[in-house]
Amino acid sequence: MQRLALLGLNHATAPLDVREKIAFAGGERDRAVAALRARYPETEVALVSTCNRVELYTARAVHGHPRAEEVISFLAEFHSVPPTAFESHLYQKSDVEVVNHLFTVASSLDSMVLGETQILGQVREAYDAAKAQGATGALLNPLFQKAIAVGKEVMAGTGIAEGRLSVASVAVDYARRIFDHFGDKTVLSIGAGKMAQLVLQSFAQLGPKRLMVCNRSADKAGQLAAEFGGDAVPFERLGDHLVVADIVVTSTGAHDPIITKRMMAGLRKAMRYRPIFLIDIALPRDVEAGVGELENVYLYNIDDLQQVVAGTMTQRQGAIDAARAVVARHVDQFLAWQRAREMGPLIDRLSKRYHQLASEELARTLNKLPGIGEPEKAHLAELTRRIVNKLLHDPITRLRSSESLHGPSGQYLHALEQLFKLERGDAAHDGGDRNGEVDRGHAE
Amino acid sequence: MVTTGQIVVLMLAAVLLAVGWGLSLARVWRDGEGLRLAAKAVSWLGVFCATGVLVWHILSRPGNNWVPLEDNFEALVGLAVLLGAFVLYVQRARTVGPLDWFTLPVAVVLLVAAGIFGATKPQPYVDTTWSWVHRVSTFGGAAAFAIAGAAGGLYLLANRRLRRKDLKADAGPRLGSLERIERITFTAVTLGFALLTVGLVTGLVRAVRENGGRMGPGWETSPKVLLAAAVWLVYAVVLHSPINPSFRGRKVAMLSIVGLVLMVGTLVAVNLMPAAGGSR
Repeated sequence: MQRLALLGLNHATAPLDVREKIAFAGGERDRAVAALRARYPETEVALVSTCNRVELYTARAVHGHPRAEEVISFLAEFHSVPPTAFESHLYQKSDVEVVNHLFTVASSLDSMVLGETQILGQVREAYDAAKAQGATGALLNPLFQKAIAVGKEVMAGTGIAEGRLSVASVAVDYARRIFDHFGDKTVLSIGAGKMAQLVLQSFAQLGPKRLMVCNRSADKAGQLAAEFGGDAVPFERLGDHLVVADIVVTSTGAHDPIITKRMMAGLRKAMRYRPIFLIDIALPRDVEAGVGELENVYLYNIDDLQQVVAGTMTQRQGAIDAARAVVARHVDQFLAWQRAREMGPLIDRLSKRYHQLASEELARTLNKLPGIGEPEKAHLAELTRRIVNKLLHDPITRLRSSESLHGPSGQYLHALEQLFKLERGDAAHDGGDRNGEVDRGHAE
Repeated sequence: MVTTGQIVVLMLAAVLLAVGWGLSLARVWRDGEGLRLAAKAVSWLGVFCATGVLVWHILSRPGNNWVPLEDNFEALVGLAVLLGAFVLYVQRARTVGPLDWFTLPVAVVLLVAAGIFGATKPQPYVDTTWSWVHRVSTFGGAAAFAIAGAAGGLYLLANRRLRRKDLKADAGPRLGSLERIERITFTAVTLGFALLTVGLVTGLVRAVRENGGRMGPGWETSPKVLLAAAVWLVYAVVLHSPINPSFRGRKVAMLSIVGLVLMVGTLVAVNLMPAAGGSR
C-alpha cells in the first residue's frame, strides 16, 4: 500500500522573495526529480514549479521514504539555502488532501488569478517531465492524469476563465497610467518565453514606435521579434537597450537579477530621467527590488499584477462555486476508483481463499459419507458457499463503503492482509499495471 | 459698486461649485457615470452663475469708462471663472479625471473672497494702460499657476497610487496618465510664467512712472516684490526641467505647488496688505 504526500509552498503561504529562493528555473526541475529518484528509487516523484508555487508530490510505501524532513533537507541542499529560509512557509498534505489539492491546483482554484489557464499546462508539463524520467508510477500517473482531466473540465464547463483580466492586460493598464500615448515609446522584452510573448502581444497592439527583443538565444529573440515586427537585439548590450526603452518586460530564467539598482541608477542620466515602466514577470526575479525606489522608475512584479487580477474575482463567484463542485465530485470519483483498485484484488483473494477452504472441508466431509447422492452433494456445496458468503458479507460491505484513500479502508486492508495472511498477487492481478494506466478509463 | 443681488448670485455660484466639488470628491468612494455627470453639471452651473455676476457687475458700472479688472471683485470673480471653466474644459474627455478636486476649492475661496473683500472701490491707478495690463497679466498668470498647482497635486496623487500598487488606493476615478498631467503642468507653467513676466515688467514700469521716474523707497524689501520675485524664480526652475531632466516628475509637481502657494501669498500681500506695497 502506498501513501501520497505533498510538500510545497505557494503565493498564499510565501512571499515572492521566499518563492524565488526555491523555485526551479530552466532544467533544474528535471535535475531535482532525477536526484530525488536516485536517492529514493522506490518513490514516485513529480515536481510542479511555477511563479506561484513549488510543490513536490511523492507516492511512497506507508513506512517508506522520503519523509517531510528529508524533502526539506533535499530542497535546502539543492538550492543551497538554509531550511530556515523557507521552512515556515511550507505546507504538507497527505493522501486525500493531496488528491483534493492537486485537482484544485489544476483547476486554477488555488491560483492567485482564479481561472487562469496557464496552470493546467504547467501541471501537465510537470507530469510529462516526471513521467519521461520514469519517476511516476501506479499512483502518480492516474492522479496527474485525472487532475489534468478535471482541470480541463473546469476550464471548459464552468466559465471560470471567462471575463477575467490577464496579467498582460493589467500591465497595459498600468502603462496607460504612466504614458499618454505609445507612438513615441520603445518596448523592450528581455527574455523570449511564453509569458513574454503574451505581454508583448498586448503592448504591440498599442502601436509603439519600436519593439525590441533581447535574449541570450539570438534565434529565440529573432523569432519573437519577427512575430511582432520588432528587432532582435544582443543581450550583451542590455544597458544600451535599457537607455532607449520606455517599457521593459523581463521574463528570463536567470537565477540572479539581471537589472540591479546600481546598474539602473547609472543609466538614469543617459535616459534623461524619463519615466520607465518595468514589468518583471520572472521567478526568480530579474529586476532587483531596489530599482523601484528610483525616481520615475515604476517596477511591477508578477505578484503586483496578479493581485489586481485576483481582485476582479468576486464578480465570478458563481463560476467559482461550480468549479469547486466539479473538483469535489472528481475527488470522490478518484477515491472510489482508488479504493476499488486497492480493495478489489484483496476482496477477491479473501473470497477465493475462504471458498477454497470451504471446498476443501466439504470434500473431506463428503469422503466420510460414501453413500451420499449427487443432489445431496449439490445441496451441501451450496450450503458451504452460502455460509462463506454470509460470513464475508459484512466485512466486504464495510470495506467497500469506507470513505477515504488511506483512512479506515487502508487500515482495514492492512489488518486483513495481516490477520488472514492474504499475500499479494502479481501486479496484473491487482487490477492495473505498475504505471496505473490500465484503469485510466475508469479513473476518468 | 457691488450690489446685494450680485453678492447673492455670487454666493449661489460658490455653493454650486462647492457642491460640484463634493460630488466629484465622492467618486473616491463610489465612482459612477451618474455621479460624474452630476458633478460636471453642477460645476458648470456654478461657473455660469459666476460669469453672469461678472457680466452683471461690468454692465452695472456707471459711465463708459470700463477698464479690465478695475476692482478686486472683478479680478477675483474673473480668476475663479477662468479656473473653473478651464478645468471643466480639460475634463470634457475624462482624460485627467479629478483635476477639479484641486481647483474647484480654490475657485470657491476666490468667490467667497470676492464677496467679502470685493466691495472695495476702484483704485485710481487702474485707469492707466500699464496698470490694467499689469493686473490682467498677473491675474492671468495666477490662474495658470493655480492650474499648474492643481495638476501638480494630481500628479503626486497619481504617482503615489502607482507606487503603492494597492487595489484600494486605486478606487475612484482615473486620474489620467502621469505623462499627460505633467504636460498640463508644464503648459500651464509656461503660460503663467509668460504672463507673470509681463506682469512684473508692467508693474515695474507703472511703479517707476507713478514715482516720478524712480522706484519708491523700500521697494526692494516689499513683501509683494520679494514674493513676486520668488514666484518668478520657482517657475523659472520648473521651466528649466526640459534642459535639466533630473528636475522632472515629482520635483516639478512639488515646485508647481510651492509656486502656487507663493503666488497666493503675493496676491494676499497685494490685496489684503496695502501697506506692504501693495494695493498697487
